[in-house]
Amino acid sequence: MSDPTGTTRAAASEPAARGPVAGAAGAVASGLSLVRGRPVVSGPVEVAFAIRPGDRPLVAIGQAVVRGTPLADLVRDARTAVTAGPADPASAVPGDFWSAPAARVGAAETAERGELLFRSGGRWRIGTGEHPEPLEAPFAGIVADVRPGIAIRLRAPARAVAGREVLAGPSSGRLEIIAARDGEVRASEIDVGGAGAVLVVGAHIDAEAITRARAVGVRGIVVAALGVKERRDVLASERRGQAAVHGLPPFAILVLDGAGRQSIASPVMAVLERLAGRTVAIVGDPPCLVIDDSGVELPPPESDLVRVVAGPLAGAEGRWAGLAGPHRFPGGVQLEAGWVRFAGRPPIAIPIGELERFT
Amino acid sequence: MTRAPSALVVVDAGAATTAVALLGRPRDRWRLLGSLAVPAGAPEADLVAVLAARVAGADPELAEAVGLADGQQLGDLPRLASRSAPLRTLAVLGASRRAVALLEQVAARTGWRVQGASTESHDPREMTELALRADVSAVLVAAGDPPGPDERAALDDLASLVAAVARRRPELRVILGGSLRGRQAWTESLGDDPGGDPGRIVEAPSVGSRREPDEGLRSILDGLLDDPRDGRRALRAAVASLADLLDRRIELFEVGHDGGARVVAAPGAAGDDPASSSIVTARGALVPPDPGDALVDQVLGWTAGSQDRHRMGDRLRDLRSVPWADATGDGARLRLAAARAALTRIAAATPELAELPPADVTIVTGGAFAAAPPAAVALALADTVRRTGATQVATDPARLLGPIGTIEDPAERRSLLADVAADLLVPLGSMVLAAGLGARRDDAPVGRLLLEHGGETTRHELAAGELAFLDLPPGTPATATFEFRETARLGRRTRHVAVPVSGGIAGLLVDLRDIPLRLPDRRDRRRAVLGSWAGLAWPGDDR
Repeated sequence: MSDPTGTTRAAASEPAARGPVAGAAGAVASGLSLVRGRPVVSGPVEVAFAIRPGDRPLVAIGQAVVRGTPLADLVRDARTAVTAGPADPASAVPGDFWSAPAARVGAAETAERGELLFRSGGRWRIGTGEHPEPLEAPFAGIVADVRPGIAIRLRAPARAVAGREVLAGPSSGRLEIIAARDGEVRASEIDVGGAGAVLVVGAHIDAEAITRARAVGVRGIVVAALGVKERRDVLASERRGQAAVHGLPPFAILVLDGAGRQSIASPVMAVLERLAGRTVAIVGDPPCLVIDDSGVELPPPESDLVRVVAGPLAGAEGRWAGLAGPHRFPGGVQLEAGWVRFAGRPPIAIPIGELERFT
Repeated sequence: MTRAPSALVVVDAGAATTAVALLGRPRDRWRLLGSLAVPAGAPEADLVAVLAARVAGADPELAEAVGLADGQQLGDLPRLASRSAPLRTLAVLGASRRAVALLEQVAARTGWRVQGASTESHDPREMTELALRADVSAVLVAAGDPPGPDERAALDDLASLVAAVARRRPELRVILGGSLRGRQAWTESLGDDPGGDPGRIVEAPSVGSRREPDEGLRSILDGLLDDPRDGRRALRAAVASLADLLDRRIELFEVGHDGGARVVAAPGAAGDDPASSSIVTARGALVPPDPGDALVDQVLGWTAGSQDRHRMGDRLRDLRSVPWADATGDGARLRLAAARAALTRIAAATPELAELPPADVTIVTGGAFAAAPPAAVALALADTVRRTGATQVATDPARLLGPIGTIEDPAERRSLLADVAADLLVPLGSMVLAAGLGARRDDAPVGRLLLEHGGETTRHELAAGELAFLDLPPGTPATATFEFRETARLGRRTRHVAVPVSGGIAGLLVDLRDIPLRLPDRRDRRRAVLGSWAGLAWPGDDR
């Protein structure tokens, strides 16, 4: 926890004695309910896997899938092709997958299979590509919806730890913690032992370490914050990987908090520590870490724990000590504030907007 | 007998924050008793309970008089609420880059987030992918009537593409314009039963030239976003009523999480209704979704501190995703730099409103300005909306205008505004901008200002390029007499002019800088200039 000594926050005066907050009624009475709540674990989950025109769904609505089941063939170099298309245009529906009859393959057609996009001037435009790669289900569930060219939705009675954003993915692997919640991982700390794993890397990871993780077969990274520069590097690397002949294995980065550097929240870290060694999945819509192991008991968050999400104390955690009312803060701004007690010290006023509580 | 309510809860549920205000009627008029804004998602009942407790603590008799002493009844209080409609994405498709650019130009002056693609720049699969995207709520496709030579070859493909997408997504709204409507490719591809609500396919005017008015298409696009409880749209009605009530021309700028607005209203003459115009634009958002390099550059251009592009990108991303946080210290300055960039975008999207006569009162509202120092807010406005003349600047910190604007009955709306207008608007001060002073170098003397108030006269020597805040207590009416050495522009061309001003927390802002504002190209010099101006507006010990 960050030491609040020397903070530039509003000068603190001890508020009236307040006991620990207990239950919903206590939360309202103390003003804690005005602090934005962040669910640590939620469920069940319904996840959307985006697919593009040209990708081919391989599952149907209502179908049960296990981890690793191919959900769709994704074309790596998607493009448009012009073709004569189905012999009976009246029965063809945009969005259907179409393959040319065997006799026509190799004749005048340049692309013999793909997703029907539209028909114009007597010819069909189809979405197609040369190198299909499977999109595998990262967790078990029931297919809730299949919309060609748009998304496949998977529903499961699993639980999830929500994040801010996911880059690439989806992916799954066993969870390994290689850094403390306020730690940082460099490339030299990632080795082949991480192959197939989803690594929890603490507060920050640099672009070089991400590249190395990708190279040694790491399946995913969970990090508190990822800056714009690292984000850009990762996305460029993904594009290069997708364009390569052999493609790349699944990989995803779950960003828990945002772009500015801060540590992983302790209630979230407690959940991740409990999951160490178990298989988890990272998915992008919604961005979260999916836990489909119903046997694991996850620690609940403490109701009066609050965390500072921005400003000079970003990442610090303390105990809610009641509403402080409007306070003047650096920059001459006046904001609603709450008293927060850090490590048993006298409470100090923090803007309510800069706090989060855990539910 | 039913007793008339003596307390009212007013809620503005924004995309980033929720503001709750309590109005009470202890005797014969409504008064603002208190207000509170916290991150969106907080239970409204808890906010009301906190406010009621504060009122009861501060003035038990008042709380008793308006029925707030008994907490049990809070849930039964009447409620006036507005909300921010979620940001929706419009895919703009066309048969040429030119056509798409024209359509985007119109759509940018609406509340839609716009994503464009043309057959010249995208292949059909990419355009289909865009239109199928789950976050796209509507597709606008149009062409000239008759189509331009750059459009003709691709019109059938475009019509078929959009018709196929409409069949695949029965929930998608389609705005179809120009010569596409009657094309055989459209009707054949759409088929007899495309599914969904038949009214989801809307006809729109053709693409015109850049100079032609865009009201037809813009009203259709705005109509698709119509929500009677949308606080941003309701601002127009509220400002019109306020203008009529105060008998003043009023201009309002709002910068919010998912968009911004500019409203201009004038009082009705000879019994007529007040006149008003407004533009709501998604580009007026404090930080639009997925901030890119262009936005980083815009905000850096208003930043006095030294930050690299990546760090600024990080902070803008965080400001977008956690807009209620980082509002103090350096974060407050960043927020106002982003607000300046947003005001600049709003001003660029509303040139016709800038051509209207200057406003007597300018209201600045939105979460970006809610907590900032008054002088900094006034300076942000002066930096970005540069018109000569004098205007009083005020804010709506309790965010009452949006909810009051949702009252459909103009008489009822005006009646409530008449009661709370004095509480609703917090005067920041007055702002006087003059230009065309003729001096070739900064700091050259160009005249003097005599500020007369309460029997006192304050004399201020004016210098070319000057920016100054003069003390003028809140609520104090005064006359500012400008005596220029040469003819200057201050609303009109003149050497000697007296303008009525009134005081506020920020005092009187006298701005003789260039119109439009010219800043050095070199970043270090630019930062130094911005820093010197900011030094006048921000508390010195709080950097």
